[in-house]
Amino acid sequence: MKEPLISFRDFSFQYRSLSEPTLKQINLDIYPGEKILIAGPSGSGKSTLAHCINGLIPFTYSGTLSGEYSLRGQRPADLSIFEISRSVGTILQDQDGQFIGLSVGEDVAFAFENDCMAPADMKPKVTHALDIVDMLPLHDQSPHELSGGQKQRVSLAGVLSMEADILLFDEPLANLDPASGKHAMELMEEIHRQTEKTIIIIEHRVEDVLEQPVDRVVIMAEGRIVKVGTPDEILSSSIMREHGLREPLYVSALKYAGCDLLPKDKPSSLAQVSASPVVKERLAVWADSAEPASKSAPHPPLIEMEDVRFSYDGEREIIRGVSLAIGIGERVALLGNNGAGKSTLSHLLTGIAKPNAGVIRLQGEPINSWSIRRRGEHIGYVMQNPNHMITQPMIWDEVALGLRVRGLSEDEVKTRVEETLRICGLYGYREWPVSALSYGQKKRVTIASILVMEPKLMILDEPTAGQDYKHYTEFMSFISHLADSGMSFLFITHDMHLALEYTERAAVLCNGELIAVGDTAHVLTDTDAIAQANLKETSLGALSRLTGVSAPEAFVRHFIVQEKKVNHHE
Amino acid sequence: MSKAGMLYIDSDTLFHRMDGAAKLIVLAVWTVVVFLFQDIRIFVPLFLIGIIMLLSAKLPWKRIRLLVWLMIVFNIFNSLFTLAITPAYGSEVSGSTTVILDLGYNVLTLETVVYVLTLSMKYMSLMPITVLFIYTTHPTRLASSLNRVGVPYKVAYAFSIAFRYIPDMQAEFRNISNAMQARGLGFGKGEGTLSQRLKHFVSIAIPLVQSSLHRIETISNAMDLRGFGKHSKRTWYSATVWHREDYIVIVTSLIVLIAAIAWRVQGYGTFWYPY
Repeated sequence: MKEPLISFRDFSFQYRSLSEPTLKQINLDIYPGEKILIAGPSGSGKSTLAHCINGLIPFTYSGTLSGEYSLRGQRPADLSIFEISRSVGTILQDQDGQFIGLSVGEDVAFAFENDCMAPADMKPKVTHALDIVDMLPLHDQSPHELSGGQKQRVSLAGVLSMEADILLFDEPLANLDPASGKHAMELMEEIHRQTEKTIIIIEHRVEDVLEQPVDRVVIMAEGRIVKVGTPDEILSSSIMREHGLREPLYVSALKYAGCDLLPKDKPSSLAQVSASPVVKERLAVWADSAEPASKSAPHPPLIEMEDVRFSYDGEREIIRGVSLAIGIGERVALLGNNGAGKSTLSHLLTGIAKPNAGVIRLQGEPINSWSIRRRGEHIGYVMQNPNHMITQPMIWDEVALGLRVRGLSEDEVKTRVEETLRICGLYGYREWPVSALSYGQKKRVTIASILVMEPKLMILDEPTAGQDYKHYTEFMSFISHLADSGMSFLFITHDMHLALEYTERAAVLCNGELIAVGDTAHVLTDTDAIAQANLKETSLGALSRLTGVSAPEAFVRHFIVQEKKVNHHE
Repeated sequence: MSKAGMLYIDSDTLFHRMDGAAKLIVLAVWTVVVFLFQDIRIFVPLFLIGIIMLLSAKLPWKRIRLLVWLMIVFNIFNSLFTLAITPAYGSEVSGSTTVILDLGYNVLTLETVVYVLTLSMKYMSLMPITVLFIYTTHPTRLASSLNRVGVPYKVAYAFSIAFRYIPDMQAEFRNISNAMQARGLGFGKGEGTLSQRLKHFVSIAIPLVQSSLHRIETISNAMDLRGFGKHSKRTWYSATVWHREDYIVIVTSLIVLIAAIAWRVQGYGTFWYPY
């Protein structure tokens, strides 16, 4: 056996500001040329482990270390962060924040500059690195002209140019739309095959990572490693569910159907596992047990957009003739890739942008000329990042803000804030400062601060971004509960899982046009629309197609019914 | 401001090609020369030469007009205040007094009018070269130039990084203020009293500062992980090679500087009053 590149022995770490260790008794060896996925829910310590590997711990974040950790047989504490970065190249989660240069080429050259390389020697190296990631034609662009996926590829080029033999990806899929995420995983695999570098991926979106081959999966929970195994071993077990991680959807479906998955069935490969006759048989029985779909009564319209058009400069149209209705009490998903016009469409609804043509109606009344504030009384808008919305230090004041601005009496403010805090499960925290809350709780505060204004429609921008499956499920069932009371919701998202499980209707936006609108299960199994919008089919659709057990739409619907039952029990 | 939030206007003229450090030296020499003298007969030619240089850089008027107007308006106000507050100051400097208007609290002298005219011409002669420098120098190239003329690279890089994040901050500010408006907070005219509107602007600062702190943490980690600060020196990808033009310009500037100092030392170029 080869010598391990990275080796942890009974390793623990405690941040100086925390009272408990974040990493506990870690034992892990990583060998040269391996491709490893480290998965775990938020707070499992996976990012802290990444910080130990790239040297940010102990050089930037200090704390108490115990046990052994070695990188190529050396103790990182004896090296400097610069020496470590020569071996470990890190691609951070925030694609925009880690882009340092004012142009693509400059960003890639950043490490060379710090190494005092002569400018003439840098140029060919930068060109070569950009060529590997297919970004050479854009070498002069500024970061503001690039998409998230493109910025990530520039960072990758920067790290590749340093010739570090370990590449560490910290949540590479966060903030990427499905198509860019798939592209990123393919690029990683290509680099892995061509360069034989060791690749470590930290990510909780296991399904997307496992679409490409991975040697081993490390599952972390509560600061410990709870299991290490091949993807087949991990997927055949129930370890992911036990620790609040989302299994690939097709694996869940197979388990619901009663298939006893074994590593030899190759559950990590959708194509292989669905070719098994036993699996086909079980799935067919399960699919037949589906109850016929019940048609819900049509909702009377709340908001209607009629042939709405919009352009910023009067030349290039961003929204090209969109007609969409959202019913009272309906949950609608607005899907589409980055740049499809999703945010612009929400800006048109909230009044941040005004349409150049077409009508927007609220319960029959045209609202084109209404200001942002006036629309705000009926249409609430919740931003993706709660830290961008919270302006008051205390939770109570934050929720009361909108009502106080409206000039309501302090008595009425009190009753309404109290009621809202109860609904949102925040009543116990009413006297707390916002800063003491977790990300998910802050997200609830922002919902509460909009809910208290009693809008008829709430627009949620990427409501589950940055949350693991457990928190995501909690949050979305809370939202569903609100929807049952008659409020309408529009979810702006590229998360197909979210749309599938929590919305009744979906609209797919592509280059400013709606290319599909209808029942969510129907839209999400419409392979033409999915391909055209550059989205990604869920693995459920693919599973039903490959096994041929029933129509994808019915199959997906049956799965959701089953999933809801299970989640309800948990 | 351009999309990238930079003042830099890309083009290919002599001034765009020139090295940032060379331009910085020209700017410095120009400024020193202007401040050595107090003679309108020097300022007018300098101003005209500056204008010709500015024209040759082919900068689109639409992009530079805001800064140019700002400088002119500032200059006019400055002149008016000088005239109003010290209407006889010119006489002190020139030693003669020619009253043209009795203001009651003081008298306005012809010498002061000439003095103010000289002063404003002095500022105006700095305007074209400043505009030229700002709009033809790319921020990172400027940073690398600053580093070359002795500014520590960490300070110079901070300058470049600021340009990188200004547009992000602008976008964030817009997003936050939009979300606040949807919650009923007024920022515009007629949406509450001035003090309320001010308070609302201040409330945006909290999420803006919060996200900036987060951003700073990410950037500094990214920079650490890629070896920033490893050595006491660093090189620059965007550094330009010094061409013959750069040397010619620098040598000419230095000759002009020495000549100007020598001239001034002999007593020429003090406040010139024609009458």
